[in-house]
Amino acid sequence: MADVLALEAIRKSYAIGTPVETEVLHGIDLTIGAGEFVALIGPSGSGKSTLLNIIGLLDSPTSGRLQVNGEETTRLDDAARTRLRGHAIGFVFQYHYLISAFTAAENVMMPMLVDQGRADRRMEQRADELLDRVGLSRWRNNRATNMSGGQQQRVAIARALAMEPALVLADEPTGNLDTASADSVFALLRRINAERGTTFLVVTHNMALAERCDRIVELVDGQINAERPGRAEPGAVSKL
Amino acid sequence: MNRWLPFEWIAALRFLGEGRMQTAFILGGITIGVGVIVFMSAMLAGLQTNFIKRVLTSQPQIQLSPLDEVARPLRFDPGVIEGALVQKPSQRILSIDQWQSIAVAMRARPDVVVVAPTASGSALAVRGDASRSISITGMEPEQYFRIVRVPDYLVAGETRLGTDDILIGTELAKDLGAGVGDKLNVTTANGSGRILTITGIFDFGNKGANERNTYVALRTAQSLLNLIGGATTIDMTVTDTYAADTIARDIAAVVPVEADSWITTNAQFFTAVRAQQTSNTLIRLFVGISVAFGIAAVLVVSVIQRSKDIGILRAMGASRGRILRIFLIQGGVLGLFGSVLGSAAGAGALILWHHLLRQVDGSELFPLILEPSLFVAAALLATLTGVVAGLAPAVRAASIDPVEAIRG
Repeated sequence: MADVLALEAIRKSYAIGTPVETEVLHGIDLTIGAGEFVALIGPSGSGKSTLLNIIGLLDSPTSGRLQVNGEETTRLDDAARTRLRGHAIGFVFQYHYLISAFTAAENVMMPMLVDQGRADRRMEQRADELLDRVGLSRWRNNRATNMSGGQQQRVAIARALAMEPALVLADEPTGNLDTASADSVFALLRRINAERGTTFLVVTHNMALAERCDRIVELVDGQINAERPGRAEPGAVSKL
Repeated sequence: MNRWLPFEWIAALRFLGEGRMQTAFILGGITIGVGVIVFMSAMLAGLQTNFIKRVLTSQPQIQLSPLDEVARPLRFDPGVIEGALVQKPSQRILSIDQWQSIAVAMRARPDVVVVAPTASGSALAVRGDASRSISITGMEPEQYFRIVRVPDYLVAGETRLGTDDILIGTELAKDLGAGVGDKLNVTTANGSGRILTITGIFDFGNKGANERNTYVALRTAQSLLNLIGGATTIDMTVTDTYAADTIARDIAAVVPVEADSWITTNAQFFTAVRAQQTSNTLIRLFVGISVAFGIAAVLVVSVIQRSKDIGILRAMGASRGRILRIFLIQGGVLGLFGSVLGSAAGAGALILWHHLLRQVDGSELFPLILEPSLFVAAALLATLTGVVAGLAPAVRAASIDPVEAIRG
């Protein structure tokens, strides 16, 4: 299984060169293979979000090497990182961050639109197909503000998949949802992982959900404290 | 979604459409600003055109006259001045030396349009017990009336000028109690006199000119002023009105005459026009700056409000350039739409003002000049102002850190 993500001795410090210099990641080594569904857990302040931002090429490590989809990213300039991020990585955040000026379908088209510059029929078809997959075909012309929290998060998931990324980073994707919606959204992520082989790295505080992942990586005080397989049941997807 | 517009345009228009209240307020501000600029520019252009037309149609653009007579001290030997005090000579009415050849030379110049020789001087007009001092101008109507548009100002009679005819102003006609067809006894200081018939009465809109100015045929004036075959001035118009000063200097350098342009003889008028232009430019500049600050303020607020949207777009792979363009387009679109509305408002106000504001005689105060170029310039300038005003907010938007924006 080829690695979609490879981190080697990743360190991250803030306020470098000042008396209050703080290192929040102390040499992270981590590899995630294609099609894996990995949970990243840890207490607040352990560096999960910082690590996720570095992996998502939204932030740069102070030192260490990072490969995304086989491409070494450490020496890429801002434009190249932006391009790689747009093509290889999809994001799902705790809050949906749908753009309220656009409809659900248009939000799903957004990454393709950003990449291509102009809308076309193929993008519309792809958006419809993704909305259908997350069960929101009927809501395609609804503005983000006219949908429930669970629906908004499903649109955000569809949007994250628009460019068929190799890796989807989900930061507390169910953190704002009630139990039923959270369970449904998580199940959706797992189903996409099973059907399409998309790699997922999910940050969560919810141990029950983490246990449904292939692997659990625990981060404590900026270091990987433990790694173990989850208890994902083979039949989990069929329960949706 | 529109398939023709680039992503930046779609996002810019959607953002403007979503913030309807903000967009409406700033559009209102730009409309008023552009309206004021269009209104002022068009009105002042009309007023200036009217003033300049009035000045230029009642006097020549260049007037050639004989050089002043200079008294020379008597000398016995070269370099020795006998009389230290030299009395200033009085200036007699003299003909321009060789005026006919000078007129021919002037007509040959490519920058000269009309050349009209005149013979002018003072006289006394007597009718019954009333008498008034007048200035008589003798000229050839077919040339002279192309310079001073006396027919345009005629209020009674006609401009026919035979050897015994005269055209007078309304004030003189009133003072002498004369009308068209009446006779005037015109006498000059040298004792020459003639009975002339009033064939027309004009109104220059200037009391002094209407009191004193009179027009006769060139031969009549030559006879009255004892200038047989002579011309006291050569009046001219030129191709470029505003180059009259340069052309006059050029003529004076090669011909032994004094050449005065209308710019020199109307220096005060020109100072007033320049002061008006300067104040107009300053007002337009400050209104433009206010509009630019208004657009910038609204876009800065929009950038703050949309920082999360910008953050997520950046996370999705939108380059800094794309984000920059979204906000520059918003600035340009606001400027363009504001200028269209402002141009319409300015033109509407101008038409209303033109209708309401009249001279005492009921004629228009200024001609209604609505040049398409003014609206095109207003649209271009306002769009450019919008883009420039959007620059600072756009740079700020493009430099937003997606991590901070999404976390914040």
